[in-house]
Amino acid sequence: MTMKQTNEKLGQGVGFERIRRITGYLVGTMDKWNDAKRAEERDRVKHGLK
Amino acid sequence: MIHSIIKRDGRVVLYDQNKIASAILRAMEASGEGNAADAARVANAVQSALQGRFRETPPNIEDIQDQVEKQLMNHGFNSAAKSYILYRANRTRAREANTSLMKTIDEITNIDARISDMKRDNANIDGNTAMGSMLQIGSAGAKAYNEMYLLRPEHARAYREGDIHIHDFDFYSLTTTCCQIDILKLFHGGFSTGHGYLREPKSIQSYAALAAIAIQSNQNDQHGGQSIPNFDYGMAEGVAKTYRKAFARTLANAVEDFLDQEDLAERVREVVSQAEDASGEHPRLENQAAFDPAMTESLCRNLSLKEADAARLIARARRRAAKITQADTYQAMEGFVHNLNTMHSRAGAQTPFSSINYGTDTSPEGRMVIRNILLALDAGLGHGETCIFPIHIFKVKEGVNYNDTDPNYDLFRLSCKVSARRLFPNYVFLDAPYNLQYYVPGRPETEVATMGCRTRVMGNVYDPTRQIAYSRGNLSFTSINLPRLAMEAQGDEGLFYEKLDGMLNLVAQQLLDRFEIQAGKHVYNFPFLMGQNVWLDADKLTVQDDLREVLKHSTLSIGFISLAETLTAVYGAHHGQDPAIQEKGLAMISHMRKFCDRISQEHKMNFTLLATPAEGLAGRFIRMDQQRYGKVPGITDREYYTNSFHIPVWFPISAYDKIRLEAPYHALCNAGHISYVELDGDTAKNVEAFEAVVRWMHDAGVGYGSINHPVDRDPVCGYVGVIGDVCPRCGRREGERIPQERLEELKKRYPEMPAFQGIQ
Repeated sequence: MTMKQTNEKLGQGVGFERIRRITGYLVGTMDKWNDAKRAEERDRVKHGLK
Repeated sequence: MIHSIIKRDGRVVLYDQNKIASAILRAMEASGEGNAADAARVANAVQSALQGRFRETPPNIEDIQDQVEKQLMNHGFNSAAKSYILYRANRTRAREANTSLMKTIDEITNIDARISDMKRDNANIDGNTAMGSMLQIGSAGAKAYNEMYLLRPEHARAYREGDIHIHDFDFYSLTTTCCQIDILKLFHGGFSTGHGYLREPKSIQSYAALAAIAIQSNQNDQHGGQSIPNFDYGMAEGVAKTYRKAFARTLANAVEDFLDQEDLAERVREVVSQAEDASGEHPRLENQAAFDPAMTESLCRNLSLKEADAARLIARARRRAAKITQADTYQAMEGFVHNLNTMHSRAGAQTPFSSINYGTDTSPEGRMVIRNILLALDAGLGHGETCIFPIHIFKVKEGVNYNDTDPNYDLFRLSCKVSARRLFPNYVFLDAPYNLQYYVPGRPETEVATMGCRTRVMGNVYDPTRQIAYSRGNLSFTSINLPRLAMEAQGDEGLFYEKLDGMLNLVAQQLLDRFEIQAGKHVYNFPFLMGQNVWLDADKLTVQDDLREVLKHSTLSIGFISLAETLTAVYGAHHGQDPAIQEKGLAMISHMRKFCDRISQEHKMNFTLLATPAEGLAGRFIRMDQQRYGKVPGITDREYYTNSFHIPVWFPISAYDKIRLEAPYHALCNAGHISYVELDGDTAKNVEAFEAVVRWMHDAGVGYGSINHPVDRDPVCGYVGVIGDVCPRCGRREGERIPQERLEELKKRYPEMPAFQGIQ
C-alpha cells in the first residue's frame, strides 16, 4: 500500500525503517518478526574491538 | 435391550452389534489372536454388560469402547486389547488434531498478523495477504496430516513435545531443502522453466535476468533457499559476450567515422570475424597478444587502412566497448537485485530465498561482475532501501583477494565498505582448514559456498570423487533441543550424554524415514530441479526414474540449538564465561559430529551436523520448556534460546574473543555455521575497523561470518545509517511531519535523495 502524502503533512505518521539481521537473513523491517526474535534483537550487546 | 447409542456429535442412532464385532475382529487381526467367532463372543459380552448399565439412557461411544477394552481383557485377548487401545488413542489424537487444525485456520483467517505470533513465524511471509494466508493454511493442513500419518509415534511425540524440531515439516512428504545451482551448466544450450523455453543468453543483461528466473523456478521445486555458488564465474561469460558484441559495434562506428562512410557495420563484423578465425580468440576486455595484431591485419587488408590508423581505431573501439560493457553490467546487476527483491515465488506469498557467492574470479569479466554487483548492492533499491535479497556471500581466499598484493584485494576492500553500509556481503573463508581440504585452484566447484542462512554442502561419503559445491544441497534437517536434555539429566553429565545419544539415534532414524519418502519421488515431481538437470547426476535419469541414488549426493543434517544454556544447565556456566567450559562445549559438539560421521559411513550417506538457524525455534522450544521447568536462571529465563553454538547475545564480550571462542565450532558443524559480531554504527562506518574484524575471522578459522550493525532509514528524506530518536539528515522525529520547503532545501544538498512518495 502506498499512500500519497499531501505536501502539508509530509512525514506525518511515517516511522523509521530499522533493518536487522537474524539467523543469516535480513528480514524486512522488524515489524514482521516474531516475538522471540524481537526479544533477541532487543537484548543484543555490542562487541568492542579491544 | 440396547436399541440406540449416542454419537460424539450428540446424534442418537440405532445400535448395531455387527459394527462392534467387526471393530473387535480388526483388533484381533492386528494382534494375531482370535477369529470371527471369538469376536462375536466378545461383542455379545459387551452387549450384556451395556444392558446391565444403561437401562434408561442410551450409552455413548466412549462407554461402548470402555466395555470393548474390558471384555477383550476379560476373555484373555490381551494383545488384541492393547491394539484396540492404541487404535482408540490414535483416533482420539486425530480428532484433536482436526479440532486444533480448524482453530489454527480460524486464527489464520481472522487474526491480524501483527497480533498473531504464529502468523509471523516466518518473517518472509506476509500473513495478512490472501496468498500468504493460503500458504499458511496449506502449511497447517500438511503438518497435521504428516504428524498423524507419516511419522512413527515416537517421532511424532518427540516433535509434538519439543524434544526435537523437524524443520519445514509442512513440506515433509513433498520435496527437499535447497540447492547450489551451477548457473553456467544450466545456461549452456538454454533451459525450460516449465512454462516456456529460454535460449542460451547472449548478453550480460540476459544472463542476469535468466539467473533470477532460474532461482525463482527452482524455488518452486524446493522448500529452502536457492543459491548460485559461481555468480562471478557465471556472469563473467555474459560480460564477455556483451563486450564482444560491443566491440564489433564500436569498431564499426570508429571505422565509419574515419572513412566518412555509413552502413559499414556488416562489413566490419565480417572483418572482426576473420580476425577471430586467424587468432583463435574473441575480442575480450583484457589486452590480447594474439587478437589485436590479427585485428589490425584484417582491418588493413579488408579496408585498405594504414597500420597505425587501424591500431588507433581498435584502441578507440576497445575503450568505448569497455565503457558500454561496464554500463551494461552495472544495469544488469542492478536489475538482478531489483528482480530478486520484487519477483514472486509460491503464488506471490514470498520473494525467492536467494544467495549468491562471488569474489574469487580474477578474470577482467569476473572482476567487473563483482565490482558492479557490490555497487548495485550499495546503491540499494529505488528509494535507496537496503536489499533484503539476495544474500551476498564474498568468498575470501589468500592468494586471490585476502592480501594487499592479491589480484582481487581491491574488491575485498570494496566488499567491506559495502557491507559496512548494507549488512551484506557475508564472508566465507576458503582458507579454513576444513574448507581448504577441498580447494583446487582453477576449479571453482571446489570452493565452499553457502546457501540461505548458513547451509554448506561439500564432503561426499556417497561419492568421494564428487566433493564439490555445485548441483547439490540439503535434503532435510531436524534439530535437537539440547537444554531440555540437560535439564532432564538434572546436571548429571553422564546421564546427559546417555540422553543425547538416544536423541541422536532417534533423529537419524527420522531423517532416514523421510529420505524413504523423498527417494520415492520421480523426476516428474521436480520439473526444474531434476527435469532441467540442475541436480547432480539428474541427467542420468529418465522422467519415470525415482530419485534414490541421485539424492544421496546431498546431506541429511542433525541440528542443535542453545549450547550456551545447555552448558549452563550441566556445568553451571557457558563457554563465554570459563575456558574449562569451552572445552566441555567442544567435547559435546565433537560427540555429535562423531555420531554423524559414524552413521555416514554405516549408510554411505552424508549425515552432517548443523549449527541450526533457529528462526522460530528459539521461541518455540523455550516456551515449552518454561511450562515444564519454569524460569530457570541462565537457562529458561528469557524469551528465546541462544542460537546454535553462539555466545549469548546479551553476554558482554569483545569481538575478538567472540570470534576466537566460536571459530572451533565452525570446524565441527559441517552442515553449516555462522558467527556474528555486533558493531555499533560508528565502528561499522570505519572500513579499516570493519576489515580488521573480517580478517580476525579469517585468521581464527571461522568458516562463515558476518558483521551486524544497525541499518536504519528515514523514508521521508532517504537517509540510511544509524538513526536514534532524531534523523541526522532532516531532523525529524519518528512520525513527525516535515515542511515541504525543508525537504526541497535538503534535495539541493543531497541530489541522490529520492522523491518521497509515501510509506510502503
